[in-house]
Amino acid sequence: MSAYNANWSLMTPEIVLMILALVIFTLDFMTGMSRNKPFLGRLSILSLLATTVLVAVFNRETGQIGDMFVVDGFAMVLKIVILLGVAGVIAISMYYVDRHRDVYQGEYYSLLLFATLGAMLMVSSADLITLFVGLELLSISAYCLAGFKKYNGKSTEAAIKYVVLGGTASAFILYGMSFVYGLTGTTSLVDINEAVPTLFADYPYIMTMAIMFMIAGFGFKISVVPFHMWAPDVYEGAPTPVTSFLSVVSKIAGFGIVLRVFFVGFESVYDEWAFIFALLAAITMIVGNMIAIVQRKVKRLMAFSGVAQAGYLLVPVATMVSLDMTMSMITFYAVAYLLMTLGAFAIITLVTEDTEDDALTSFSGLYQRAPYLAIAMTIFLLSLAGLPITAGFFGKFYIFVGAIQAEMLWLAVIMIFTSIVSFFYYFGIMKQMFMRDPKPNDDQTLSVPKPVSAVVTISLVGTIGFGLLANVLTNYFNNLQWFF
Amino acid sequence: MIPNLLTWIVFFPLVGALLILAIPREQKNAIRSIAAGTSIITLILSILAWIGFDRSQSGMQFVESYSWINLGDFQIYYDLGVDGLSMPLLLLVTLITTLSITASFNIKERVKEYFTWILILMTGLLGVFVAQDLFLFFLFFELTLIPVFFLISIWGGKEREPASIKFLIYNGLGSAVMVMAFIALAYKAFEATAFSHATFNISALADIFSNPEVSGVLTDSLKAGIFLALLIAFAVKLPIIPLHTWLPNAYVEAPTGVSMMLAGVLSKMGAYGLLRISYGILPDQAVNFATFIAILGVVNILYGAFIALVQTDLKKLIAYSSISHLGIVLLGVASVTEAGIQGAVFQLVSHGFIVALLFFMVGAIYERTNTRTISELGGLSKSVPVLAGFMLAAAMASLGLPGLSGFVSELLAFIGIFGASAEIIPAARVIAVVGAIGIIFTAAYLLWAMQRTTFGKMDEKYLGLPDARPMEYIPMIGLLGLSLLIGVYPSILSDVINTTVIDIVSKIGG
Repeated sequence: MSAYNANWSLMTPEIVLMILALVIFTLDFMTGMSRNKPFLGRLSILSLLATTVLVAVFNRETGQIGDMFVVDGFAMVLKIVILLGVAGVIAISMYYVDRHRDVYQGEYYSLLLFATLGAMLMVSSADLITLFVGLELLSISAYCLAGFKKYNGKSTEAAIKYVVLGGTASAFILYGMSFVYGLTGTTSLVDINEAVPTLFADYPYIMTMAIMFMIAGFGFKISVVPFHMWAPDVYEGAPTPVTSFLSVVSKIAGFGIVLRVFFVGFESVYDEWAFIFALLAAITMIVGNMIAIVQRKVKRLMAFSGVAQAGYLLVPVATMVSLDMTMSMITFYAVAYLLMTLGAFAIITLVTEDTEDDALTSFSGLYQRAPYLAIAMTIFLLSLAGLPITAGFFGKFYIFVGAIQAEMLWLAVIMIFTSIVSFFYYFGIMKQMFMRDPKPNDDQTLSVPKPVSAVVTISLVGTIGFGLLANVLTNYFNNLQWFF
Repeated sequence: MIPNLLTWIVFFPLVGALLILAIPREQKNAIRSIAAGTSIITLILSILAWIGFDRSQSGMQFVESYSWINLGDFQIYYDLGVDGLSMPLLLLVTLITTLSITASFNIKERVKEYFTWILILMTGLLGVFVAQDLFLFFLFFELTLIPVFFLISIWGGKEREPASIKFLIYNGLGSAVMVMAFIALAYKAFEATAFSHATFNISALADIFSNPEVSGVLTDSLKAGIFLALLIAFAVKLPIIPLHTWLPNAYVEAPTGVSMMLAGVLSKMGAYGLLRISYGILPDQAVNFATFIAILGVVNILYGAFIALVQTDLKKLIAYSSISHLGIVLLGVASVTEAGIQGAVFQLVSHGFIVALLFFMVGAIYERTNTRTISELGGLSKSVPVLAGFMLAAAMASLGLPGLSGFVSELLAFIGIFGASAEIIPAARVIAVVGAIGIIFTAAYLLWAMQRTTFGKMDEKYLGLPDARPMEYIPMIGLLGLSLLIGVYPSILSDVINTTVIDIVSKIGG
């Protein structure tokens, strides 16, 4: 199949999103230097929702464009998750940029859209090259976003750290890929999958090294221990909505790429690399949860909580019984993670902005100041901690069942006990909200802007809804053809 | 009968909780009446179930079963049902919660949240006793953690925050062990049936494990491991020494109404889980572990009693007496005789009423005197004769005065352990005698405490304290009356539990 007769309509959502992103970019130039441009935010959300609809329409049928770009169940579900996640991030950002006049809004929104485009490309690629292009589009946009408060030292520090370490991680990935290409002579994941079993027999050390290099690089992107060191600093310094972007969208897209590469490209040698993920999952859960306990700043706490959550998400990667079930588990937990983390970040943005303080104590007395937010936050935290009746509870249970079915008892034990450890810090935030009085110099009532409250409400409904009616998602996932 | 009666019972409190959330927090009386009304309606519904319960049948009744979540191989069902074991406990939950809500009318601060949490807790507790699917059981079990954490840490005493965290972590760890055991049970059953029966249903699992062909595939050490894990998990809730250290803090720091719930109902979840899941699914292990459990029971009785003897704080004394009394449950359960298990269920119900009454009395006295230190109280029978009288009556019930429920249950449990077959528990009689000594200590510490508080020299400053208010009569008379009812007319309870107990014992074959 040549590029001329390929089914380009499969790419419609990406093409439309790119055009819309460019339109928003241009509109920004055309509307002068006046800083507050809420219409751009609204337009971005609309573009994302429109793209979501297009994904649902055009990606329903599986298909591919010359082994480079594939559309399958996995791509479709993750694209929808990513698009809705970014829409939520932009809704939070609209409140944020309104308060920070040093943020150039047009660029901000279009960078977010470009990052989204990169993420969509990532989860849809079946070729190492497209995959890397998508990854870099996401990463470079994210580096810029992290430093968006350019007069703020911490934000700049975050951006520099992120770009240096992120660049190194990309180099690792490329280095690993180059070995794979050198040995197989192809960049197509499907062809690689066919070639690797014999290669593993012939050159076990080089193959293992190639895989290790890639895991190190991807591990950085999804912030698993020991490649997580950047996360707390970058999360703390970056503008809070960008932090939510990094911890939700960027991480889910990163998982998308890991799953795509390893379950499509290296599926035939599962036994050779599964234990690496098992070890990573174990230390990620232990370290993430332990270090989160001692955090005193809410954004750093969420960074380590995000590390721990990445560990839970890695458990099914390492404990595959059947591919469908593993994918179903990860995707369910990813949806739950999106809802609970995004909701929590919406509230964190509001609270830290309002109190101009990102210490945990900025949450004190939130129940008196904004009862609805406090209740919603409680539900998100319960979901993150894996308590009923939430999507997180069921998601964790599901992963846990899988781990025991794969007879990886030790990993299941670590998972469940580190979850109990996480009670300490999640309930610590609840303690601030319900059992401390508001600080005297905070307003007695916290007014909630509409976009933020919309994100909170939608996430809340989703978190509880998928906790009660998890069957809706699981049934859908069970009938999905994950990989092309 | 009302269709889906159990669903109504379990989720009606949740409806009440949502209703309360919709009411402005200033309207405290409206909130209180909604909470009370909700619990009373739930109580009425559970009484309807009690009346409609077929006493001659041993299986599950009021069964509801809907397919819920598909996990690939496994299918989670929304399975509810009650049998003779869960029916009395279901009624116990609704009774104690209703009375605890009445007793909590004097909560002045953050009334709205308080009653919301109590009603959510009620849903969790009711769910545990009717769930027939392990996932559902686990869900409700975990659901009880959250309200208790908040109830202790917001409305508790001085040391409330460490107490609530300790409660959360201990019970969280217990649940963690439990869920591992659950999934191991389900998965091993799945494996043993050559991957043909994937189920979380308790009775289906019991059938698989009792099937001789399947049992052969599963090794004894595996079953013993699962049984032990379940025992540890339920031991935290019950609690069994040495996993009890969260209990004194939690019981003492919790506000009166919550102490009543914790001691009266929450601790029963552990014993219920042991009977329903451990004994129900792994009856052969129940025999292997019988001696171990019996010894744990005796240790509980003696340790609880000894520590209670030296307590200076009245509420702490009751907390330790609660540990001691639940040891009797373990003795009865371990005996695997009809009398023993019946006695254990009796003791669960009876202890629920009595300990709730004791905590209520301590709360009422603390409210007036502002102290719980035994040596600072004295002569209460002169200053507050009615309260003192009820406290004395509660203490008598607790130490097993004939005519009150404590006597019947302890008698049955001890008959059970005396009659336990020597093959199952080698030194059953010795254990029974040692346990009975513990009962003497119970009498000692309770009578000694009563002597120092209700009688003895009266402190002048307590003169003129207001005696029981009309609202306080409701829980006092209600709880004592129920204890008396079971004491003089035990068959009201034994009718319901008998067939199920016979069924459990016949499966164990003891």
